[in-house]
Amino acid sequence: MPTVIALDVSLSMARQLTSPELPEPFTYLQLAIHGIHSLLDYFGSFAKLEFVALTAFSSTCEVVLSFTRDFESLKSKLSQLEECDKSCFDSAIQAVNRLVLSEWGSSTPCQVILITDGNLGMASLTLDSPVFSFPCKLTTVVMSKTKTCHPSLKKLVEAPGVGGSIVYPEGLLSHLSVSKVCHQVGEDNYTPFSAVLKMGNLMNKVVLSPAPIPFTKMSDMELTTCSMSSTISVLGFLEVAQVGSPAAVSRHLVLPQESNSTQPSLVEHEEEGGEGKTPSFCVLLHGALKIENYAALCSLGADWYGILYSCSDSKKKSNLMLLALEPGKHSVPWLGNLQQLVSPDLWEHVEPFPLKPVEKKSYALNAVNWIRQASLQSDIQKILRHARKLPDKTVQFYKELNKLKRAAISYGFLELFDGLAAIFERECTLLPGTAHPDCALQLTFAAGLLRKSYVRDPKYVISAMRTNFNNDDE
Amino acid sequence: MTTLINKLYPCNHKTIFVLDHSPYFGISSDYPIELDPADKSRGPGFIPIAPIFKSLWTSTIEAVFEYCRIVWDLFPDRKLIRVILSDVQAQSLNLWSQEEQNLVHCIYSLTTIGSHPPRQNAECSMMYGLCSALEAMCEPTALQSEKLKQEPGTPTKHNSSSGSCSGESASKILNRCRIVVITSFVDPGGVDKLKTHFHNELQRINKVAATSEHMFPIHSCHLVIINVFPCSSKHATTLYNMQYPETPVSPVLSTELHCVKAGPELSNKLSHLIQLHYDLASTTVTGIPMKEEQNANSSANYDVEIFHPSEVHAALLKGNLADLATIRAPKPGQSYDTITLRWCTPRSSLAEMHAVTCMHRVTPVEVNSRPSSCLIHFLLNGRSVNLELVRRVGGKVISHILTSHGGDIFMHTLATGRSILEDPPSISEGYGGRVTDYRITDFGILMRSNKLMSARRVSTSDKVNEKVKTKLERQTMYWPLTISATYIYNNKQLFEPLLTLVQKEEISDAALIQCNQCVYNLVALEAKHEPLVPSNPGTRGKGPKRDEQYRQMWSELEHVVRINNRSENHAKLLQTLLEFKNKSPHNASSDESKHTKIELNQALRELDIIKDMTSSSSPGSIERASVIRPTPPTPSMDSPLSPPLSSRGKPAARGRSLLDICVNRSKASLHRSKRADFYGRLNAEQGPNGNLVSKLYVDLVVKDEQGERGGKGGKPPAPVVVE
Repeated sequence: MPTVIALDVSLSMARQLTSPELPEPFTYLQLAIHGIHSLLDYFGSFAKLEFVALTAFSSTCEVVLSFTRDFESLKSKLSQLEECDKSCFDSAIQAVNRLVLSEWGSSTPCQVILITDGNLGMASLTLDSPVFSFPCKLTTVVMSKTKTCHPSLKKLVEAPGVGGSIVYPEGLLSHLSVSKVCHQVGEDNYTPFSAVLKMGNLMNKVVLSPAPIPFTKMSDMELTTCSMSSTISVLGFLEVAQVGSPAAVSRHLVLPQESNSTQPSLVEHEEEGGEGKTPSFCVLLHGALKIENYAALCSLGADWYGILYSCSDSKKKSNLMLLALEPGKHSVPWLGNLQQLVSPDLWEHVEPFPLKPVEKKSYALNAVNWIRQASLQSDIQKILRHARKLPDKTVQFYKELNKLKRAAISYGFLELFDGLAAIFERECTLLPGTAHPDCALQLTFAAGLLRKSYVRDPKYVISAMRTNFNNDDE
Repeated sequence: MTTLINKLYPCNHKTIFVLDHSPYFGISSDYPIELDPADKSRGPGFIPIAPIFKSLWTSTIEAVFEYCRIVWDLFPDRKLIRVILSDVQAQSLNLWSQEEQNLVHCIYSLTTIGSHPPRQNAECSMMYGLCSALEAMCEPTALQSEKLKQEPGTPTKHNSSSGSCSGESASKILNRCRIVVITSFVDPGGVDKLKTHFHNELQRINKVAATSEHMFPIHSCHLVIINVFPCSSKHATTLYNMQYPETPVSPVLSTELHCVKAGPELSNKLSHLIQLHYDLASTTVTGIPMKEEQNANSSANYDVEIFHPSEVHAALLKGNLADLATIRAPKPGQSYDTITLRWCTPRSSLAEMHAVTCMHRVTPVEVNSRPSSCLIHFLLNGRSVNLELVRRVGGKVISHILTSHGGDIFMHTLATGRSILEDPPSISEGYGGRVTDYRITDFGILMRSNKLMSARRVSTSDKVNEKVKTKLERQTMYWPLTISATYIYNNKQLFEPLLTLVQKEEISDAALIQCNQCVYNLVALEAKHEPLVPSNPGTRGKGPKRDEQYRQMWSELEHVVRINNRSENHAKLLQTLLEFKNKSPHNASSDESKHTKIELNQALRELDIIKDMTSSSSPGSIERASVIRPTPPTPSMDSPLSPPLSSRGKPAARGRSLLDICVNRSKASLHRSKRADFYGRLNAEQGPNGNLVSKLYVDLVVKDEQGERGGKGGKPPAPVVVE
């Protein structure tokens, strides 16, 4: 997850310290910068894909460098920092919120590392809930001789949704102890997630980047927290179009690691070894998924599923990506129960994707809905259009009339019968001279029927009057 | 804690509408309905039709069904609604069961009961409906039953004395619900009376439920009272003043009162409440190009409003406030906001994976309006629509996709921020990335054979996924990743059908013959020093020597047969294979020619046996065998190591392949049989390569040639040749 380093550059950071390690005295700020260097070194070795941003705060907060993977440029910016006035955590929090929201949006979890001497002076912290408007993990490194900090800071890390902790350097405040604690922060929060990608007897060690974090699912009468299993098993394959871009709780790059083949090598090679030269199942899977435009369904843990697919962000570079679905076997409605997917040769009764919903939706039913006057009017106009084309449209005229009648009875809208009768009678007077005689005959007949009470029986179906003109149609 | 309970046990899981079906609701709402469209051109002699009026009942049931329609479109399960009519008795339109949670069922029940309120003024009361609703609330739904079963503390162990009104319970599963009652009061006293009666009944039924085996006590009930009155009512102001927001009456009951005029005011009230009850929000899709109804040549832009869970907007609401201000506006005539997103001419489809953060069902607000049905049909026909967020500072971003999955329309929310996965190292830069001869095509075949579909009619005892797992494991028991790591999968025609058959659960006797034949053919091939790998332009440099190729091939083949050894015939096949493998020349380099001879003789003997068997039982296998026949060698290709076939005592000429011998033998046996040979065989002529050739359908060819004359240089079809 992206990291924001928020460094305290208040005046108290200019205080000087001495240590037996170094002949020269040094400031808290220098110490903090040294710590950040250690953290960046850790990223350089173990979390190369990490995006890191640097902010420096005092009474105001400045974004020194926005999110980058260029750790060297971050280091060079650090050396240019200078102490300012009093520290104000509010401004730091606001700036971090702004920075993260504008860059990653509200749903990307981010790590915030706050480095301070823990000295708030007279200032206090106003905590609006939620403190951070993105999923946050806050680690506060407090460089304090006494291992104490301002109570507001404690409140901050304990605030709901912050997921915070406070760490202090062990022993004396020195370059060594600060560097150690920062390295520890790296180890605690950026340990690569190693897993085994498995398909039957084929397997490959992989690292997921970013490392998955436990997901808490809350739905009606269900509250579960799922952690990703270290074995990701391929269950079968789907066409990418069938998968239909479902929602992901997270996405991870699947980076193959060197792993010994699990299968005996029966055919000997002349050229061996070299990084990238040993075949990897992961690379094969990616290549085949990409060429066939397929995706692989895999299991990520108990009742938790994911989709592996080839993801290209440019024409040249592509990667194996793992999409973690929301936990549960019904997380993709159009794929049905994910526990019951099978290849057709193994099961007699199968249904292709996408599955149809059990009940047709209201918008697919073309049912009567007269909440708005306009839809009643357009239903009436439709009948009148048919009426003007009688006797050709006799069937359609009575079909629509019966649909209207049925709906009116269902809603207890009996007033419509007289209204419709009146409209039919008026329509007779409006008919042009060229109109077919059947128009007037059928309209008058229908109007007469609509005024009869027995027609209001839901079982009664209005059928056309037999005339000389429509006998053939019947 | 309260929010957690609200989320975990939402009261919208169970909703009951209790509707006043007394004769009073048969009176007119006094809201005029024009039957003529407003824009209709009125020629001379046009007599306007007097407006008609819906009854209180019609406007109520329409508004309630609209509420149900939206809920059932958006939440096909887990959000259940029942509708109960109350007049001289309670009449329920549906039950909690999933089959009855739809409008078609409710309308059917309503028509059967008789929708229009009765005209006689009998003893009607809302309490009939409310009591029936409380009883219904004590019935656990399917989901509740399922969760209760998982819970050790069943509701029957619920402490009756304290639990009935406090909502405390031994069970962790909470039965929270909502009752919406639509009736008509003229004075506040009526409301209070109803509330008190209802509260007493609630406590009474919870006491009964506490001691009952089958009833689930109500832990919390939200009673929404909607007081409906005709538009012409003189007391409108007084009635409006009676309204109050949600107020707790006791730990188990809270109530609120809304007073509305029948007609649009009632339906607007419900469409506002539904958003609060289910946490919905509204999006207006703007700029949908649509042909004019009357004039198909011109096109205008229309807007369609849709409802969906509010989470769809979560990212927008947390985003730039300036952007939000430009897209969010109050919906005219309604008491809620709608967010406007622009229709974007659809370009991409869901044939690729989008970065979707959440997806929710949607439903149009005006279901039958022309713009709505145009958009809906566009989507139901399988196309997707991108929705654009227009930013205030200029520039726009695609924030959502509308698409149908099998007839269910969803709105996918896209991640609009920067991706933390951007600019990753390519997989070709990592481990295994520089290997170029992965068996990608073969893996494609493996993927296709494991393409998933949804299994139907699965009982709980059926371990469908176990079957899938077993199949994958079997298929990958030996699966070399690269072309250079295998011989047997590179030249499949030499090894099929053995490779396919050996994976099966059992090998039938007929299949075993085919497998054995495969082995014999390989032996023969090796004896003739055919290269195992056809000249492969892909491989650079010299591969291993031919002998080495065969040695590795045999051990590979042995491995495949060995790991699949799961039936008697599998074992037999392995035995056969081992016999030959051990006698293969590379294992006996000291005296090559002698061993080769023995080996080949044995192969020939075995083939003879097969031929004798098959020629009488299934002549088809000869034809099948010919599929894997190696190319007939020319005399010059023959090497000194070739087997001297004279040992068989047959006048077998040099240069004849193993198969030729077999075929001859089978012919001989055919001749021996009493059955008359095929006409074609009897009339065959000696072909150019010494085989007997008989032309079939000679007449047909002649006719075709005549017919094709004048065609575009089409070759006459080759006559079918039977050897």
